[in-house]
Amino acid sequence: MTAMRVDAKVVMLGKESVGKTSLVERYVHHRFLVGPYQNTIGAAFVAKSINVGDKVITLGIWDTAGSERYEAMSRIYYRGARAAIVCYDLTDNSSFQRARFWVKELQTFEEHCKIYLCGTKNDLVEGDRSARQVDYHDVQDFVEEIGAQHFETSSKTGNNVDALFMKVAEDFSNSAFELLPEEKGVNLGQKKNSYIYTCCHH
Amino acid sequence: MSQRSERRGIHVDQSELLCKKGCGYYGNAAWQGLCSKCWREEYQRARQKQIQEDWELAEKLQREEDAAYASSHGSQSQPSLTPFSKFEEKKTNEKTRKVTTVKKFFSPSSRSTAKKESHEAKSHSPSFVRQSSVETDQVSREFMEFLKSLKPGREIHKQSRAFVESMGNKKDLGADELSECVQDFYQNMSDRLLSHFKGSSEKVERVMDQVEKYIMTRLYKSVFCPETTDDEKKDLTTQHRIRALHWVTIQMLCVPVDEEIPEAADSVVKAITDIIEMDSRRVPRDKLACITSCSKHIFNAIKVTKKEPASADDFLPTLIYIVLKANPPRLQSNIQYITRFCNPSRLMSGEDGYYFTNLCCAVAFIEKLDAHSLNLSVEDFERHMCGGGSGEVSPRRTSESASPWPIELLSALQKRQQQVLVEAQDLQAELERWQEGVAREVQDILDKYPLEIKRHAAHAIDSENEENDRLPPPLQPQVFAG
Repeated sequence: MTAMRVDAKVVMLGKESVGKTSLVERYVHHRFLVGPYQNTIGAAFVAKSINVGDKVITLGIWDTAGSERYEAMSRIYYRGARAAIVCYDLTDNSSFQRARFWVKELQTFEEHCKIYLCGTKNDLVEGDRSARQVDYHDVQDFVEEIGAQHFETSSKTGNNVDALFMKVAEDFSNSAFELLPEEKGVNLGQKKNSYIYTCCHH
Repeated sequence: MSQRSERRGIHVDQSELLCKKGCGYYGNAAWQGLCSKCWREEYQRARQKQIQEDWELAEKLQREEDAAYASSHGSQSQPSLTPFSKFEEKKTNEKTRKVTTVKKFFSPSSRSTAKKESHEAKSHSPSFVRQSSVETDQVSREFMEFLKSLKPGREIHKQSRAFVESMGNKKDLGADELSECVQDFYQNMSDRLLSHFKGSSEKVERVMDQVEKYIMTRLYKSVFCPETTDDEKKDLTTQHRIRALHWVTIQMLCVPVDEEIPEAADSVVKAITDIIEMDSRRVPRDKLACITSCSKHIFNAIKVTKKEPASADDFLPTLIYIVLKANPPRLQSNIQYITRFCNPSRLMSGEDGYYFTNLCCAVAFIEKLDAHSLNLSVEDFERHMCGGGSGEVSPRRTSESASPWPIELLSALQKRQQQVLVEAQDLQAELERWQEGVAREVQDILDKYPLEIKRHAAHAIDSENEENDRLPPPLQPQVFAG
């Protein structure tokens, strides 16, 4: 068992078959394979280390089941996530509507989680502009409104994939040191309380 | 009680009824003649004193033990004395164990533990109790062994011990507060290790794993599925729910596993074994390891079937299927226990955490599962649930409504089954014929050579002679004098 220390939890959200798994696969193993591939047994969880400046950040990337039947459980997945990559298919407008749903959920329940909207299958729309169903500028407006980041990637060509995860790691690296002292302060307080409790008890 | 004092009032002087402290209230024999208020004060004082004494004794024992530990620690550093140090160490361990048990009797915290354990001993077989205490000893020994290689080892050991003991005092706290105590301890300990002892984070993690193992092995009994929570009730609900859903097939859940392939079927069995195994582990991390191992087998089963790595879309349904098939004991209690007492860094982001989260999802899915989530019509779902009650679903209906097996396959199977039935009947008829044939032959032989028993041949001649009485008595030999 590879017990790697993981610094940040990154959760992948998105409708079925928008290409969450392919995106992770492309990023971690630098490949896009259509046929059978044998080396890995699962791509549901991967840990990947990235050099950010002079630090090494390890991202734990969580794939999630996109099917609607598991929608009610998605909250369990993104609990405690530092970043969420919400994927939608550039050639499928319904997938973007679902992405909006997740963005809303994340904003409501996980406010510390940074959101990255990711339009996938960019290679398909580059070859044929009429295939595009989600307008770049519409998404850009939406992203600015919610204060998120926006990427359009292709797992087939690898376009923009590394940039996306690099941005995730950088943002985490920058925010990690702002958050840390605050967290510690909370914990010390808790400890004090519990000691008082013990004293009262006797 | 008042009744009793009235009855006694007839014989006894009024002053004897009052509190012995002279506060003017009535006393009570059960409170040694004190009123409730004075008794409480008195009792508290005595108890405090007792606690103080016990504490001092515990301290003394601790010092002794520490000294012993230090001496064994010292001898360890001299390589020439290895065999002797081994012996010494054994002795120390024995001493430790003795000290623990002695302490158990004396320290105030453990009074309730002792009581509880004796209570438990009644319900479990004695061998079970002994086994678990052997396990605890084993873990303590390993913990000591592990700490010997570390500079702050003594300090860690002392703190861990003290923490386990202090937890004994907090038996009546709610589960969440207990969890908070443990989590605070983890946090403080790892902070200290990071700052005071300048450990690298990997090293600290390794130490924390051992600390968790030591602490949770000892606390397991009192904090797993505590009475203050409704964990047990939830366990039962989930168990019944899973049992009621026994009819759910691999196809309804869209599980990408083909159990016809031997390797996939084998992995499924292993996954089921692992998830059931989880309940028998004590340390949260070990329980997590069971879940992870189960997940790895699931991935393997998917990989063998689909010939490509599994994504979460494949994994979650399969995990749900495995949970339904395994119906793991005390599932909710185990999940709660892990959530409350596992080292949080492991649970939140690491690989184990990912599989654990999936398990939580699977359980949540099973709880909420309805017709829609299985792609069934509401009527079909209801019928299955009702059928589930009687434990029988007619195969015909399944084939009509939900079974994705091809009709040809089913009819071929039916034909083969009918053939088997016909052949079985043939065989039975043949057997009967054979039996008859044998019987007839035997009869023939019997007829041919009738059995003649010559009864009277050896009999006493006179036995059936009815006129025996009338016969003259047998002649008696006579002696003639001559």
